[in-house]
Amino acid sequence: MQKEEFNYRCRELSAGLDFQLTKYVLDTVQEHRKSKSAGKLPVIWIETSDSGDNNIAFMNTTYPYLGQVLSGLIDLLYSNTFMAAQGKDALNILEQAATELRGKFTLVVEGAVPLKDNGLYTVIARTENYSLTARDVLTWLGPLAKYVVALGTCASFGGVSAARPNVAGSVGVRDVLKREVINVSGCPVNPDWFVGTLAHLLLFGAPELDSLNRPALFYGFTVHRHCQRRSYFDQGHFAEKLGDLECMFSLGCVGPRTGADCPYRQWINHVNWPVRANTPCIGCTNEDFPDGSSPFFTPLPEKNPPPHEEQPAASKGGAKGE
Amino acid sequence: MSKKRVMFSPVTRLSGLLSVEVVEERGGIIEAKAGGTLFRGIEAIMKGRHITDAVYLTQRVCGICSLAHGTVAGYLLDGLYDHELPENAQYLRNIMLAADTLQNHIRHFYFFSLPDYVKMPEQPPFLNQNLHDHRLSQQDNARLVNHYFRSVAVSQECHQLLTVFGGKIPHQHSFVHGGVAVAPTADKISQCLALIHSVHSFVKECLVPDTELIASAYRDYFRIGGTPGRFLSFGMFRFGSKNQSPLWRSGVLAGAQLSVPDVRLISEDITSSWFVNADGQEIPSPSKPAAYSYIKSVQYAGQTFEMGPLARMLINGFYRGGNSAMDRIYARSMETLLITELVIDWLNKLVPGPPPIQQKKVPVKEYAVAATDVMRGALLHSARIKGEQVEEYRIITPTAWNFSPKNNKVQTGPVESALTGTVIPGPDMLYTVLGRIIRSFDPCISCGTHVLNAKGDLTGKMVF
Repeated sequence: MQKEEFNYRCRELSAGLDFQLTKYVLDTVQEHRKSKSAGKLPVIWIETSDSGDNNIAFMNTTYPYLGQVLSGLIDLLYSNTFMAAQGKDALNILEQAATELRGKFTLVVEGAVPLKDNGLYTVIARTENYSLTARDVLTWLGPLAKYVVALGTCASFGGVSAARPNVAGSVGVRDVLKREVINVSGCPVNPDWFVGTLAHLLLFGAPELDSLNRPALFYGFTVHRHCQRRSYFDQGHFAEKLGDLECMFSLGCVGPRTGADCPYRQWINHVNWPVRANTPCIGCTNEDFPDGSSPFFTPLPEKNPPPHEEQPAASKGGAKGE
Repeated sequence: MSKKRVMFSPVTRLSGLLSVEVVEERGGIIEAKAGGTLFRGIEAIMKGRHITDAVYLTQRVCGICSLAHGTVAGYLLDGLYDHELPENAQYLRNIMLAADTLQNHIRHFYFFSLPDYVKMPEQPPFLNQNLHDHRLSQQDNARLVNHYFRSVAVSQECHQLLTVFGGKIPHQHSFVHGGVAVAPTADKISQCLALIHSVHSFVKECLVPDTELIASAYRDYFRIGGTPGRFLSFGMFRFGSKNQSPLWRSGVLAGAQLSVPDVRLISEDITSSWFVNADGQEIPSPSKPAAYSYIKSVQYAGQTFEMGPLARMLINGFYRGGNSAMDRIYARSMETLLITELVIDWLNKLVPGPPPIQQKKVPVKEYAVAATDVMRGALLHSARIKGEQVEEYRIITPTAWNFSPKNNKVQTGPVESALTGTVIPGPDMLYTVLGRIIRSFDPCISCGTHVLNAKGDLTGKMVF
């Protein structure tokens, strides 16, 4: 399957009530591996400062389901959540994989990276002699990885872990590593965005990225553009309270400046999404989430600008079109 | 024989980051220090924000039990605004919390706990399993491995059920203060009934028998990993227009004594935690000597207490077993079955209609405490507000109780007590035995390490 067709499948299938992405993704991966005698995508997954919501989101993947991803798409070598090994046995796997698969593995980082106080706010593992912080692990593994994927908004941009007052001085992975980082943002990530990115890496290498280094495939348009309530917005019909059917711009919706395909992809086997649940989009994929979305129920023009945060490094854009 | 200090880190297959240091002497554990090594500080983040941000923002404390925080923050706001909860909202909220609890318990059993007892296939992510004490027949083992992979879709279905009403999960949207923003329409109810019947069948046909199989093959764990036997619950699944009536009762159980909990008797201690007191504020101090955890020690009436499904089941008289690692696993699985039956009942009681939500515009109180049991035990949120702005937000999580480090009286928390005195049958068994005991508590370190106290103790009565 060609890249264009793969991208088309990823984009369109969940909109068509014909959720056979498994057939396309896994079959394509099988074909690819056969023709190239290639293995699965080797993945080292490091959890840093976040809530663990992205690994739960990953467990919720459907078509392909988690078991299919683990057996057909990736070799999940290190993962604090899933691995059977524990203690030093787990660390040995990490060291061995980093050495043997140098330049070949994909590093998935789930969470922000605290920098204050030598990074001691997130310790991945301790030995009798030292503490291995998130920053230590990233500076060690970052240069050895073929691809680095920042999974979730904390890993991508700092997210909730770096929300004001940011006691631990947390930052996104891009501020720790001097190399390309593919941001797959979301609080949590939609598993399709993540599994789709992994499949793309294996089949075709790095996907096309937007200005925030996110796969344009998933983040290329605003929530507002595809929102089912767009016609209410265009006609100036706004909800007065949660539960109303009109546009929720009046109740704090950040859809107009949020790049994500939630309106048609939806969540958890594609059954629902926040606006369909009569609540505003709070812009969880954004570079300035949560501070730029807070207060969540205050209309966009009246939201508080972050009082003492530095301005984000990159421009606020990243998503095309209204 | 000399003492040996061993660092068990990382303790994998749990939520968050945990390191446990033990001292071993003559094949037994004589001391244990359980340390959460992750700090985020949601309480500090809440300060100065609009109080209605609490439900969405505090859900970000935790990925595996996000709605636990959403629920308690919802109750807290109901109290501050003095809402009246419509009956459909009560059912919907409990259905949603129950669905998240089912997801949690099923994932805990299969993804986190099962590899402690079952030989997993020699492939990633199961390499170097080192299960030296494997006791299942090849046939039983194969069946349980198969159930591990079948549980993937079942736990997903629990979250799908929640999403039909909640919009997404983790970090759902519709369960907010004043009710639930989504209409319980007939199509949603029947969709959810189909999902819960599927979950119920799996729990009945796989999870419960699998638990019984493991419990019988590893029955010595009914005598391993016990705590001092003090249990606490704030009650679970709240009904009533003011969230005042938990379906499952609250209680403080110490020995045979059962009393009603009073939040004013809760206290916290930072002796072994990476926090210091500065001008009446507790601030993190990651280099504090002798400290080993970002979790603070929590006590009730000066004593540490265990919480979770076992505590709830004992306090409510649903379980008559003992107090051990296997009792914790067993009680959790029995509770899972009970909850599937409750969800079926509640879905049938929902009356199709409009979104059951009535939000008042302004808060009428300046301070509230909300506490209830969620997946892992008693969760408490409290807030002091000025106008609609948060002045102080406090969270005390179940994991903080269970993983309390040593306090100023050198009293250990439940997990450290459960590890201390454990006999390690052989040198290659250390991780296996410790891992089984620790995971029986269903650790959630993402939750445990948020506790950042502004000052003072809890005052006033709970809002429900």
